[in-house]
Amino acid sequence: METGPKIALFQCQWCLYSEADQHWVDHELPPSIHLVKLPCTGRINPLHILNAVQGGADGIMISGCQPEKCHFIEGNLSALRQHDEFLNLLEYIGYERDRVRFTWLDLQDRGRIQRDLAAFEADLSQLGKADILVTRGIPSMRGQHA
Amino acid sequence: MYILNKKEYKQIIAKWLDKFDVFAPQKAGEFSQFLPVDADSELDFTEPHNTRYPPKALFLPQSETMMRYNRRLNRSEGGQEEIKPRLIWGIRPCDAKASSLLDTVFYTEDDGDPYWIAKRDASVLVGMGCTEPCQTCFCTTVGGGPFNTDGLDALVTELGDEYYIETLTDKGERLFAELPIASEEQQEQVQTLQSKVKGAMEPVFETDNLKEHLDDIFGSDYWDTIAESCLGCGVCTFLCPTCFCFDIVDEVQRSERVRNWDTCMFRIYSQEASGHNPRPTRKERTRQRIMHKYSYWLDHIGEIGCTGCGRCVRYCPVGLDIRAMLNTANAYESEGIHVG
Amino acid sequence: MPEIKVELKKEIDRLLNEDVVDVVIAFKKADAPLRPQPAFFRNVDEAAELEYNGLCQNNLANYLTRYPQDTRIGIVVRGCESRSVNALLVEKQHHSENLYLIGVPCRGIIDIKKIIKQTGEEVTAFAEDEDEVTVRVKGREVKFNRKDILHDSCLRCVHPNPINTDILLGEPLPEGDPTVARQAVESFASLGQEERYAWFRQEAERCIRCYACREACPMCYCTECFVDHATPRWTESDISPAGTQAWHIIRAFHQAGRCTSCGACERACPMDIKMTYLTEKLNEDMLEGYQFEVGMDDTTQPPFASFDLDDKNRFVL
Repeated sequence: METGPKIALFQCQWCLYSEADQHWVDHELPPSIHLVKLPCTGRINPLHILNAVQGGADGIMISGCQPEKCHFIEGNLSALRQHDEFLNLLEYIGYERDRVRFTWLDLQDRGRIQRDLAAFEADLSQLGKADILVTRGIPSMRGQHA
Repeated sequence: MYILNKKEYKQIIAKWLDKFDVFAPQKAGEFSQFLPVDADSELDFTEPHNTRYPPKALFLPQSETMMRYNRRLNRSEGGQEEIKPRLIWGIRPCDAKASSLLDTVFYTEDDGDPYWIAKRDASVLVGMGCTEPCQTCFCTTVGGGPFNTDGLDALVTELGDEYYIETLTDKGERLFAELPIASEEQQEQVQTLQSKVKGAMEPVFETDNLKEHLDDIFGSDYWDTIAESCLGCGVCTFLCPTCFCFDIVDEVQRSERVRNWDTCMFRIYSQEASGHNPRPTRKERTRQRIMHKYSYWLDHIGEIGCTGCGRCVRYCPVGLDIRAMLNTANAYESEGIHVG
Repeated sequence: MPEIKVELKKEIDRLLNEDVVDVVIAFKKADAPLRPQPAFFRNVDEAAELEYNGLCQNNLANYLTRYPQDTRIGIVVRGCESRSVNALLVEKQHHSENLYLIGVPCRGIIDIKKIIKQTGEEVTAFAEDEDEVTVRVKGREVKFNRKDILHDSCLRCVHPNPINTDILLGEPLPEGDPTVARQAVESFASLGQEERYAWFRQEAERCIRCYACREACPMCYCTECFVDHATPRWTESDISPAGTQAWHIIRAFHQAGRCTSCGACERACPMDIKMTYLTEKLNEDMLEGYQFEVGMDDTTQPPFASFDLDDKNRFVL
């Protein structure tokens, strides 16, 4: 059975207003999508994104509330600048920026997360399997010599 | 003593490659490192001194996987691979002696380190004597020398177009026994060269009573003076051929237990689980390095734990020079706490 | 250059004799060849060891965070160092009223590795003037054009003149051209994707996690660095590619809006690893995206320390 591209989904726990949508994310996510649930997208640290990249994620989706509708008022704004600049840095050293996608969900949107993930999977299939910066498990050459 | 024409080293290495993994200094980018040799490798002896990164890594790799954990089968496996016989060509006497010093730590009778032992047992060390010691070398000050044979299976001395090779052990003899033998006159020339080079290396600090004096000034404020500029990085300890401290970590994301070099220069090295740190400030940590090399090693095995390779002097980012530090320490008078 | 040293000595002696400061941070004569060392003078006798020349390769602002904030410190600062001091003051790492900045306009720090590459390591003497450097190697003299052996960061320097000093010794020098740094970043960015990653991979591969770069950097003063976090374990502490790449990426990133491009990190590295190409990219982005240049005053907060409601119009995709 062919699975889709490996996606790490960082989801803010408040952004899916519909119970049906949240249930789908919690229980019916395809096996190729790995869920990391957070209290707010502002919690995301570039270290988490890098960790997912190094571990072989073909794509990283960050789903959160729209900027002025954050459950914690300003939480998701505080991290925006850092995420943007971090992607600038990764792109500078050769990483494909399109592998990281933000989706800002409105409370009214139903089924948006499924549509966004499907669209993301299609785009990632075009990009192919990730290999830039995918280094987890590769041993140091210095294990073999000085 | 055997002779090998310098231009013919590739032929002899080609012969060895059948039986050994050969490691020798080669240019990698800007500077020399011990790298695996193949039939086409160009060895690099343009640097008259030792390689930057120490060959202790051939026996104690900086990051060594000790075992892997297989979650599916719920067991540990691997880590200790079979080590193919290895020939290390071109190791300097300071580094070879350092490896012997480290044997007293890792290659012990009942509780030896199997990872270290396997690599040491599999290795033949062919040393390259130093015909041009540098201004940062001080092996003769600490009981070594540019043609010292501690820890070597054979020693090569370069003279003109030839390598003159003294075999020191059976392992070494087997490597070179087919080569032509040097005449008495040639042997004398080599010995004269060796004495001349060694004789030109004057001691740079006093080692008589150094340990006692360091113990005497242990509690003094001499150590504040060095600690003030010391950055507390790991350059001196990682490049040092006799430093051996390590840290074992479980890399959970790839199910491996790894041993990494560690350094007493880092604050967290000595930090205990309670949060207490017996070496809380830079002063205690910088002092530790000098005391370990020049006092505690003597307590343990009766020898100074430094072989004078000079790397810590060349690469310290703030220019701290251990030779100057010991000279100042020797001259320092104080009523400090005596460590006895 | 010797005249500057005379002036420096005079000022340092005055500060100590008149009890203006508790300690003066400067450089003193080398023990290891070609390596003047950071020095901490508390009286005029100690200050007799003063050294000042193009071989003084450390960023002295690095030492400020070691002292309690009520310590009165005199410090010799060149252009980038003075901006590091400002950056530290913005982060409240010291009180400006307890600092006395002795400013010296800088002709650039000499990269001894560039000298050694050409002459080998047995340099026994060194002399310099404004344009030329002369060294003695194995009995012979070798001359260099100063520009040819300056550290790469100094070749891209925009601000050789220290800022906000209490005294300035020597004539101000012409400011540098900001397009030089920008061009360096742009030309790297214009390389192909595979080429950029190959360069990054090749540099990170030599890393031995000694953290000399971190310890030499005035802005890396965290009591607990991100590499020391054990639970959860986001980055590996070994020298595998994952570990060393993560180290370089994240350390550079933590410098965004804080790094003054002094290059002390590269000069400290025992494996000659390049890393300023990463921080320069971040600095250019801070300038272009937020019109922010670190260290030009001691109050403006760096971009990541705040956000603007206008941000959403830029980033929401």
